[in-house]
Amino acid sequence: MKKFLATLLTLCLLATMCSLALAEEQITLTFGFWDTNQEPGMKAIAEAYMAEHPNVKIETQVTPWDQYWMKLEAAAMGGALPDIFWMHSNQFFKYVSAGTLLDLTDLGLDYTPYPAGITALYNFEGKQYAVPKDYDTIALAYNKELFDAAGLAYPDETWTWETLRDAAKKLTSDTVKGFGAPNDTQSGYYNFVYQNGGFIFEDGKSGFDQPETQEAIKTWVELMTVDGISPTLESFTDMSNDEQFQAGRVAMQFVGSWMMSAYTSNEFIKDKFDLAVLPQGKTRASIYNGLGYAGAATTKYPEVVKDFIAFCGSEQANILQAQNKAAIPAYAGTEHYFTDLFENLNIKCYTEMIEYGVQFPFSPNKSLWEPIEAETMTSAYTGEMTVEEACNFMHETITEIEAE
Amino acid sequence: MKSQAVNPDLRGKKFRFKSEWAWAWLMVAPVIIGLIVLNIYPFIDSIIMSLYKSQGLGPAKFVGLQNYVKMFSDKQLWQSTWNSFYFVILTVPVGVFIALLLAVLLNSKIKGRDAYRCIYFLPMVVAPAAVAMVWRWIFNAEVGILNQMIGVFGIKGPNWLSDPNLAIVSIAIIAIWSAVGYDLVMILAGLQSISASYYEAAEIDGANAVQRFFHITVPLISPTLFFVILMRTMNSLKQFDTVYLLVKQTNPAFKKSATLMVLFYREAFEKFNKGYASAIVMWSFVIIMIFTVFQFVAEKKLVNYD
Repeated sequence: MKKFLATLLTLCLLATMCSLALAEEQITLTFGFWDTNQEPGMKAIAEAYMAEHPNVKIETQVTPWDQYWMKLEAAAMGGALPDIFWMHSNQFFKYVSAGTLLDLTDLGLDYTPYPAGITALYNFEGKQYAVPKDYDTIALAYNKELFDAAGLAYPDETWTWETLRDAAKKLTSDTVKGFGAPNDTQSGYYNFVYQNGGFIFEDGKSGFDQPETQEAIKTWVELMTVDGISPTLESFTDMSNDEQFQAGRVAMQFVGSWMMSAYTSNEFIKDKFDLAVLPQGKTRASIYNGLGYAGAATTKYPEVVKDFIAFCGSEQANILQAQNKAAIPAYAGTEHYFTDLFENLNIKCYTEMIEYGVQFPFSPNKSLWEPIEAETMTSAYTGEMTVEEACNFMHETITEIEAE
Repeated sequence: MKSQAVNPDLRGKKFRFKSEWAWAWLMVAPVIIGLIVLNIYPFIDSIIMSLYKSQGLGPAKFVGLQNYVKMFSDKQLWQSTWNSFYFVILTVPVGVFIALLLAVLLNSKIKGRDAYRCIYFLPMVVAPAAVAMVWRWIFNAEVGILNQMIGVFGIKGPNWLSDPNLAIVSIAIIAIWSAVGYDLVMILAGLQSISASYYEAAEIDGANAVQRFFHITVPLISPTLFFVILMRTMNSLKQFDTVYLLVKQTNPAFKKSATLMVLFYREAFEKFNKGYASAIVMWSFVIIMIFTVFQFVAEKKLVNYD
């Protein structure tokens, strides 16, 4: 009896395995990214692809930015990267130089519709390792209610650093600060640096020793420490710049286009704010950056991954991500699907600024010096170091790290 | 072996003896294997790693003691070492004292004793990350409930989590709050194992409550107390999660509240400097060893096991 049962069980198992093998091979791919706001957009793309390819299943995995790179690094070392994942200019070199990215050169994709700068970001030694996904720029967001209450004209393209500072002073009261100047690079002092003719990293060299760079960072930090028109560093640790603006405690701030879906779904702020191009310094500039879709070199199904990434880069997928309020799509001519979603907002300034946009600085080893920069600039804010000392320290650090 | 060699009668026993050993090894194997794979191997690996420069995804490069030289000349290492010590000083004496006090109270016959025991133990069953998130709101200087309450009296509350001198104290408060329940249960168990006859005898001899506490309770629960202090010290030295969750790198209080474990984490997983991070781990290992030796010496002198 026992023997009979055992044989029966074995047979059952075998039968199940055979039937699994006989059915069309079911492929499951994982798709990793970091922005929860863009989850609907990414899911829509995955679903559209799955509808055409019923044997492929794409699982999306969202990991917040802070943990995303940590997780990705561990996965890269263990050979367990998601099959498809978002890539960022800060980290690209590290991953591509370690051979962890799938070569996408033979994708048969036409790269002309994408901003050339963003395609080039993900090109390494003549090979393409990521397909442009989107681009973002930085604009000046302002609270219309607070401007009306102070009887001030709204910001426009004529604004300079001086106009910004003067307006912010008038807007500052016991409960409201005129402008948020946090310890932030992309939506912070990098914009000032390039508007002042300085640079952060170019041609293998750090620009932190340049007087233009140092002057710009000093002006930015002093908006908080000297002019007193920005919430303090302590205040930002309890409520971020974004949160303070959305709560109506800060009248103006620099904000990236990726925040728009969050802002317009916030009941408190969505009808009270509008956007303008960044005020100019010596020249105009707005930091732009673009993400890319990359594949893992270790994937079991390189052909399917390539096919899916090519789909992500298609006009159809770009429209899908735009319609889901994910980000400004990289595919030329599809931007309006995104901007049309924000009727009462001067959202066009984001796409206008690409004309004088400056690529978010990157270097082969930026992932190593970026955390040091955040820490060093904190010391410049607290007065533990002067801005010059902090900049010189960063210059030495970057030079040392990049030389290795 | 020797005795068996001179006594041939024990041959059969020797065989059984051997097989018993084999069984014993088999029984403890899961634990031993677990220890080797999860503790001993990574420990040795960390020692080796601390001699290498390992950044990012590339291969590691042997650099000898360079990581240690760099580490001991880094001001932040000494600051973090002090932060860890300071955290122990802030949490252990106060935390254990409160736990002892509450345990004695809850050991007496008061109304709703079980309810109180439950309430004090509750923080223990909440995940540390959730605890940190709740306290972040309580301590929020802008909109937090604590400063709102202080504000009622017209005083502006401090920046609990961003004042460099206060942040670590705030975190110590959270640590004490969440650990007191566990210590309390431990001490309570110790208290309940004390025979009531000691107290009766002392009462007949005319000892008052304070005398009874110091001459009967304290000596008799000293083994439990020692265990609690030991565990609390270890946990405080290893403090990581609350600081990590509440004090970010752009916080002005970061340098003065980053414990050794936070520093290690930052080097290993944010700056991707695994070799240097391993050197920090070795340093914390030495410190924890010193603490442990010190405590075991103290145990011999102060703890009463009779």
